[in-house]
Formats: sequence, C-alpha cells, structure tokens
Amino acid sequence: MINVKKDEKSKILNVIKNNIFFIIVLISYVVMFIVKPPMGVTSVKNSVYYLKEMLMIMPVIFVLTALLDTWVPKKTIMKSLGKESKIKGTIFAFILGGISAGPIYAAFPFCVMLHKKGASVKNIIIILSSWAVIKVPMLINEVKFLGVKFMAIRWALTMVAIIIFSWIASKIIKDKDLPEEKEEENKCDVSINRDACMGCSLCAKNYPELFGINNKKAEVKEHDFIINVELLNKVVEQCPVSAITTNIVKQKGEDIINEISQDETDTVEEKESEVS
Amino acid sequence: MDIFTMAMWAGTGGFLIFSVVKDKSKTKRALKMAFGMGKGMLLSILSIILLIGLVLAILPPQSIAGFVEEQNKLLATVVAAAFGTITLIPAFIAFPLVGTLVDAGVGVVPSVAFLTTLTMVGVVTFPLERKEFGAKFAVVRNILSFVFAIIIALVMGVII
Repeated sequence: MINVKKDEKSKILNVIKNNIFFIIVLISYVVMFIVKPPMGVTSVKNSVYYLKEMLMIMPVIFVLTALLDTWVPKKTIMKSLGKESKIKGTIFAFILGGISAGPIYAAFPFCVMLHKKGASVKNIIIILSSWAVIKVPMLINEVKFLGVKFMAIRWALTMVAIIIFSWIASKIIKDKDLPEEKEEENKCDVSINRDACMGCSLCAKNYPELFGINNKKAEVKEHDFIINVELLNKVVEQCPVSAITTNIVKQKGEDIINEISQDETDTVEEKESEVS
Repeated sequence: MDIFTMAMWAGTGGFLIFSVVKDKSKTKRALKMAFGMGKGMLLSILSIILLIGLVLAILPPQSIAGFVEEQNKLLATVVAAAFGTITLIPAFIAFPLVGTLVDAGVGVVPSVAFLTTLTMVGVVTFPLERKEFGAKFAVVRNILSFVFAIIIALVMGVII
C-alpha cells in the first residue's frame, strides 16, 4: 500500500481540509477584530486563561499516558477495566475520572490509550463523564457555592445517570467503532541491529519495500506506507540472528510482546549507543 | 495550580524517574510517543481554546444567567442546558455562577442542567472527540449526556 505521490494542489487542499476547524476559528477572530475590536480583545483575554489551564495539564497527561502505555501490560488493563471487570471496573473507572484534574479533552488521549489496551467502551465513558462532572477537585468549590446537600444529591444522581447511560452507550457502540491501533501501524519503528546482522538478505527478499541491503548489511528503507504487520512479523521471526526489532507486536497478542520486548530493549539500547 | 494538578505532576514525575531507572530506551520511546500525541492534538486543542474565548466574549455567562432568569422553568432548563453544551467554563466560574442562578430564584432544575452539560457535553470539543474516538462514539456519548443532564436536573428539582 504505497502512497501515491500527490500533486501540490491536492496537498494544499488536504492541509486545509485537515485543519478546517482551526481555519474557521482564525477567520472568526479576524472578522471579530474588524467588526468589534474590543470584543476581539476580550476573546483573546479569555483564551489566555484556557491556554494557561491547558499548558498546566496537557504535558503531564501526554507523558503519563505514554508511560502507562509503555509499562502497564495489556492484561492488567483488560482485567481492571475490560468487559469482564464488572463492578470493580466501574468503581475503578469512577475513581480514575474523579481524581483527575483538567478539562474533559484532557481525558481523550488517556481514554484512547486505555481502550486500545482493552478497556471496555462502558468504562471509558464512565471515566470521561466522571472526569467532566463529578470531580473531587471541584468538590470544595461546589460545596462553597451551592451547599453540601446540593452537592451530595447531585453527585449521587449523576453517578447513577452515568452508570445507566454508559451501559446504554456500550450497547450502541461496538469496539470496532473506535479507532484501533492504526496510529501505531503508521508510526511503527522498525530497526535493525547492524552489529548482529550477517547480511543474509532474507528480510530484503521477503519484504523488499521495507528492507534493503547496504554495505552488506540489512537496513530499513525510508517508508511512509502502512506496514503489513503480518508480513513484518514473519520477517522478524525468520531473521536467523533476530536482528530486527519492531514495536508493533502488540497486535499479535500478549505472549509475543513479552518475548520480543525482552531482546528488543537490548538491541535498541545497543543501537542507540551506536548512534550516540 | 490546584493540589490535584500538582499531584498529577508529582506522580508522573515519580513514574518518569522509575521508568528511566528501569529502562532508558523504553522511556525515550514513551517520551517520543507523548510528544507525538501532543503534536497531533495541539492544533485541535488550540482551536478549542480560541473558540471558547470567542464564545464567552459573544455570550458572557452573566448575560445568559440574566436571560435564563426571565424565562419559565421548562424553557429556562432547555436554554440553560443548551448553553452549557456550547462551551466549557472552569469550575471556579461555573459554581459561583450556578450559585447566583439558584439564589436569583431561577431554580435548581435549570441550574443543574446547565452545570452538567457545561462540563460533560461539548459542541466545541466535538471535532476533537470525533477525531480521537470516531464519529459514532462522539455522537452517542454527547447525546446521551445531554439527555441525562436534563433527567438529572428534573429529578433534582423533585428532591430538593
């Protein structure tokens, strides 16, 4: 599936299409500044507050999500938040959402990661909703302005509502409606330990689009197509000295991950010391 | 920065140190992944932020409160819920505002509807949600949240 080279025009069109939302917002600002400059200034001032809020929370969310993705095995997530997790999963999802700081969009990358690792749609919706509306960080504020009774009743009702509608949603939304590991497919790292490679060129023969031979050793070619995971895994297995490492084995089930991540880390380290 | 955000930074910092100690190359890859995630979402989040700023300038929460006060209960509830869907307001503005609404005699029902949709339903964040989770998920979640926000509000009106 090699991408066909696009001509300049469709490239520009694509950029516009992908960022249409941003462009519309920018145009609205321009219009606002022409029609009502003081309101434009107010808008910018408002945005600065949200920008600060975003910068306080998003970097930490991204790092935390990536670290959890790296260290927490799929099995653990499936067990604690998957379809079989039952009431324990529900409680865990409420706690996760309830104690987290930040606006709802901060929960998006976090929940996408959880779903890819086997969390159920129901529990993801619980996390998103409680992240939004029954936050422990907001509790003091709510009591201060609306009273304990108001807060307690609202919390109880909201939790019941979330349980009901997350269940309804899980009946409507199937796992396949959500993006799977597509991103990883595109971004997957393939690397070759050139010290181990003995230049048998088996990989280049089996997957010539991805592997080539340079200086009697195999190398990964520049690629922007979606890698054929099955084929790649076959090539990885066939390499007589196990010099090829990838990070896409996740898709092939738990046992392969453990097996490969072990020597993977070794080789990556070697490779990195070689680079530096 | 409130204590929960600080706790998240501290926790993640600790996690990061643990990760570096245990496996440097894995950590490097995780950070690369985090950076990629950030890059992928940056423009969408920036659009959301700018749009919220704009919406709040055109429709300041106070004027909405004023408008809601004058309507009858049912209309007020729907209007309040609808306005809540458009934007995201930080808690320290939302709660005093809802407090004002209740004190002004608007009633609990519209106030709660507003509070719930405010945070849970996001028209502004919809494009990002669709991008991250797919259209079906985003549509179903937002519609259900909206419906249940009104149900929560109505039940609350009965109890209080």
